[in-house]
Amino acid sequence: MTWSTWLDYTVNGLVIGNIYALLAVGLALIFGVANLINFAHGSIYTVGAYVGWVCITQLHWPLAATVPAVLLASAVLGVGIERLALRPLHNASRIAPLLATIGISLVLDQITQLVFTPNPRALPSPLPDWRFQIGGGSVGTLDLLILAVGLGTAGALYSFLRFTKMGWAVRATAQDSDAAKQMGVDVNRVNMAVFAIASALGGLSGMLVGMYYNNIDPGMSFDATLKGVVAQIIGGMGNVPGAIAGSLLLGLIESYGIALFGTSYRNLFAFVLLIAILIWRPNGLFASARDLPPEPMTGSFLARGKPVRIPPRALIAIGALAALLPFAGSDYVLQTATNALLYGLLALSLTLVAGTVGMVSLGHAGLLAIGAYASALLAIELAIPVVVAIVLAGIVTAVIGTLLVFPAFRMRGHYVSIATLAIGQIVALVILNWNGLTRGPIGISGIPPLSIGNLPLYDAPQAYWFVLVVVVALALLQARILSSHLGRTWRALRDDDIAARSHGVALDRYKAMAFAFGGFGAGIGGAVTAHLYSYINHETFNAQISVLALTIAILGGLGNISGALLGSALLIGLPELFRGLAEYRMLIYGVALLLLIRLRPQGLLGTA
Amino acid sequence: MLHVSGLIRRFGGLLAVNEVDLAIRPGELLSVIGPNGAGKTTLFNLISGLDRPDAGRVVFEGRDITGLPPERLAGIGLARTFQHGRVFANLSVMDNVLIGGHTRLSAARPSLPGLGALAELLLALLRPASVRAEEAALRDEICDILALFGDRLLPRLDHPAHSLSYANRRRVEIARALAVRPRLLLLDEPTAGMNETETAEIQDIIAMLKARGQTILLIEHKLGMVMSLSDRVIVMDGGRTIAEGPPEQVRHDPAVIEAYLGHSATGDAAPVIEDAA
Amino acid sequence: MRDPVGHPAVTVPTRRTLLLGAGLAALTHGTARAADPVLLGVSGPLTGPAAQYGAQWKKGFDLALDEVNGGGGIKGRPLALQFEDSQNDPRQSVAIAQKFVGNPAIIAELGDFSSPASMAASPIYQRGKLVQFGFTNSHPDFTKGGDYMWSNSLSQSEQSPQLVTYAIKDLGLRRPAILHLNTDWGRTSKDLAVQTAKALGAEVVATEGYLPEERDFRSTLVRVRDAKPDGLILISYYADGALIARQTRVAGITQPIVAMGSVYSPKFIELGAEAVEGVYTQSNFFPDEPRAEVQDFVRRFRARYNEEPDAFNAYAYDTILLLAAVLRQFGTTRQDVHDGLARIKDVPSVIFGRVAFDTATRRVAGANTANMQVKGGKFVAWDGKPAIPRT
Repeated sequence: MTWSTWLDYTVNGLVIGNIYALLAVGLALIFGVANLINFAHGSIYTVGAYVGWVCITQLHWPLAATVPAVLLASAVLGVGIERLALRPLHNASRIAPLLATIGISLVLDQITQLVFTPNPRALPSPLPDWRFQIGGGSVGTLDLLILAVGLGTAGALYSFLRFTKMGWAVRATAQDSDAAKQMGVDVNRVNMAVFAIASALGGLSGMLVGMYYNNIDPGMSFDATLKGVVAQIIGGMGNVPGAIAGSLLLGLIESYGIALFGTSYRNLFAFVLLIAILIWRPNGLFASARDLPPEPMTGSFLARGKPVRIPPRALIAIGALAALLPFAGSDYVLQTATNALLYGLLALSLTLVAGTVGMVSLGHAGLLAIGAYASALLAIELAIPVVVAIVLAGIVTAVIGTLLVFPAFRMRGHYVSIATLAIGQIVALVILNWNGLTRGPIGISGIPPLSIGNLPLYDAPQAYWFVLVVVVALALLQARILSSHLGRTWRALRDDDIAARSHGVALDRYKAMAFAFGGFGAGIGGAVTAHLYSYINHETFNAQISVLALTIAILGGLGNISGALLGSALLIGLPELFRGLAEYRMLIYGVALLLLIRLRPQGLLGTA
Repeated sequence: MLHVSGLIRRFGGLLAVNEVDLAIRPGELLSVIGPNGAGKTTLFNLISGLDRPDAGRVVFEGRDITGLPPERLAGIGLARTFQHGRVFANLSVMDNVLIGGHTRLSAARPSLPGLGALAELLLALLRPASVRAEEAALRDEICDILALFGDRLLPRLDHPAHSLSYANRRRVEIARALAVRPRLLLLDEPTAGMNETETAEIQDIIAMLKARGQTILLIEHKLGMVMSLSDRVIVMDGGRTIAEGPPEQVRHDPAVIEAYLGHSATGDAAPVIEDAA
Repeated sequence: MRDPVGHPAVTVPTRRTLLLGAGLAALTHGTARAADPVLLGVSGPLTGPAAQYGAQWKKGFDLALDEVNGGGGIKGRPLALQFEDSQNDPRQSVAIAQKFVGNPAIIAELGDFSSPASMAASPIYQRGKLVQFGFTNSHPDFTKGGDYMWSNSLSQSEQSPQLVTYAIKDLGLRRPAILHLNTDWGRTSKDLAVQTAKALGAEVVATEGYLPEERDFRSTLVRVRDAKPDGLILISYYADGALIARQTRVAGITQPIVAMGSVYSPKFIELGAEAVEGVYTQSNFFPDEPRAEVQDFVRRFRARYNEEPDAFNAYAYDTILLLAAVLRQFGTTRQDVHDGLARIKDVPSVIFGRVAFDTATRRVAGANTANMQVKGGKFVAWDGKPAIPRT
């Protein structure tokens, strides 16, 4: 590889880093003031791109008119989000706003998709296309414009924060909002201003990047948010110059990674880097390593509440009804019910980990994937009987899952969520790339169906009963464990890990136990799914499932076992009743999540 | 019992704890006082493992415990409460205090190397008689501890801690520390925010514990309490120890009075040293 | 084994007694009146990330249904579709499969869009003895799911070699680099492409797989450029294909680009703009092809929708006409469909010359493949000149 090629890779890295910087700066601004990771940022970015598209291609406005329109629309959207969805959560737990932004992004993305269809659209740039040769490649007008916007905004923000009255107010609020309030700062106005600025920047970025690629589609938000968050964490949360540096670094690492290993591994680098930073330098690369220990975040838990106590007789009656369902429902109903039960397994696992132990995992579907692949491979390659394979898969998932999440044990609040999100993505990417083991994107087909010994369980009722028994068994085991000293120990770690550790509770050991048990249950869920579907690949268990599982767990009440099962019955079963509304399904999930967090964070049956 | 020598902790350019030495004998009650920001809580954090010193040693009952993580220290008999009070908000009073007894659950928590955690999980599922008996015994013991607080806590065994009054929460915290059966008890401003009656109650409890032979390290601002309870007093200011000795001696030490007067402009603890109530 | 036709499908999970179910079954079974529609079930993405393809399907379906029903339907009975939204999600395609199998009015199923969604549901269709007809999924193992799995979609084992032959024998590439979607479709195609290239005496100098959501290809292209290829072969869909084409110039690549027919769509030109000028591709469906079936389809599509049809529209249209032919000739029960597919011959088709199935593979052989290129912002037939002049 020659020097000039390295120059090309460097230039490319900086170019893509440039683009990430536009996103990261907006995220850093919001984090700095509201201590919030805004997962909806990518959605605002997408809306900005579409507003730009409408102005340029439908209304035929010149750029000079389009840019203010995009800025205004995005700013208004940002202010709306802050006012309606986030301000009311100000006194709620730390994790609530994060989840609210996830709900908002779901809703915004779905609305964009419904209005504009998922078809990618061209967004031509009205700028002249000058190109400047650098090394073997070239950069063009848009590259320079994006660079100018990035640097210009950073510079403008810097001056604004240093030299204007409002800027001082923003910085004061970022340091200590209560103190700022006492000094007469209108914290609400500051928040609104910051959201307006950050969102305007986000929307403008969307338009610019859309022009850059001549391609916009509603799906661009997830990736944008993810990369922006990674860049921000590398640079130091809330640190605007750090966000720019972090973005450029991320771009360079991706570029060099491609140079050395190939394109398939690109995102793997980004996420592994993220985890490394979270472990060793959680304040980002540009903060000193041994700062004052942060005020411990107590209660990353969602809401106080008493669990609704369902009398044992009622539970037995419900169980009996469930067992009798095959005599009253069609195969279609049973299929749906089986589906709901499988989600219930994941929700049980997640409600333990997120509810009882307080680690709000956004990557739990990765455990399903590990379990599914483990069981499929054991059954196919080693000809292990299906039931044995399923149990072994549960154990494998318990071990691997615990090891993977181990780095996140000491993290707090939103850091845990981001780390687990990244770990979930890493699992999917490893599965995609480890062709020798998992057959890569081709997936595994011909997975033997569920069977007990030599008796295959083909019918919907048989499969249903099998899964029902598994779910009931795991739920009972979980209930028993929670009523032992482990229940209170886990909850103590959740409520205040400093105090718990000071009384001898070894954090790593107990979190490992929780993940081992949770991993076992989720792994079994994935394994059963594999044998039911007969074909799986790296996309079968994706990020959307993780978010859905979390919504189910919250709906039922975090930590609440019956809640997890009720939640899955409702969120999986009900949409089947309203298949006509299927187009709005994800939208409804997003709205449900938002309403829950806002109005009833303890869920239907109360947190436990 | 506890020897602290040459402890130093820096935060950036600030020396929060600057070469502090301290020794406490079994059965003694040693108070640490000083204006806000003197480094008292940092000192506690360094002793109890929540923070690592930059230099110096902490030796407890002959063992060097410098820099050991906090979870190890409960097991060897060191327990503490916290300056702003830290209870497990969503746990009941009983559960809160049961956590204090965590290190004493030996049947439920086998200390097998490696597989200990797995064994603990299995035992929680199976619950053999030994485990159940141990739990029951611990619960009885907790009730005895709670009885020390009269009828403040016992009638509220099942109430979640967040529903308790502030004073009750702090009592729960003390009870939880007692459940460790600590050889050394560190109390960080146990009566902060309490009124006179509540303070007097706590004072009585501490006196009773002392009478039972409990070794106590106490941070307090209420000097009346300090004077009447302590065997010895250490005064800190700006990270250093500026005086040490029996309460009466320290009280008249000019350096101490200067430290308090010097800080009085910023509204710190009362410079007037009241007589014991 | 439980009889799937035991009682009607319920969409509301209320309790029904066996008696009531059996009674209703007795009333409705076997008494289809003449005006009852012949119902095909469709499992496909109406919402979700693949919704655009479902929309393309619908356009093709509706056009074909008009034609079939305008011509007397299926022996006097109208042909109709029940389109259930699977969101291209295996979980839902499986539930839909149960629903369809349990509904005696549905006599065949079309879909799903992707291989995972289709193949997860195959066991249910196979056991329920309901034909599952895949017309856009191209996983080579799809029809191996059972003898009720049929497909008229071109498998990669045909598409890939055809593309590579065009690139190497016709266009003169000797050292191609391959960029491919890192999906089951892309990988299998890539492996077959490499094989074919070797057999034709060419050397594949680089292969790079990328994720479907990827938008930045600059560094990938530098890596490819460094292997010094004399041309690029793209195994992509139109959106990513367009992105790659646009970024080749930026990376200093001027070599010719040959893209698989999966990019063939007006959107490729819309998204790629001037960058796709000169890209070579192939298509099984080419609107300017003079064949009567094609011209007829294109004319009617333009008239109804005021836009140009693409391959997805064409496949959907073809599939309906194919099934209509089978139903007319062999009968309207599920078994009839299954047996008829094995015996049907000479069905006029937009994609194929004439359709007949290879009963061993349950696929159609011999699609017409036209060599094309992009010129003047449109897809035109290949002008016959090699991309790399022979020396």
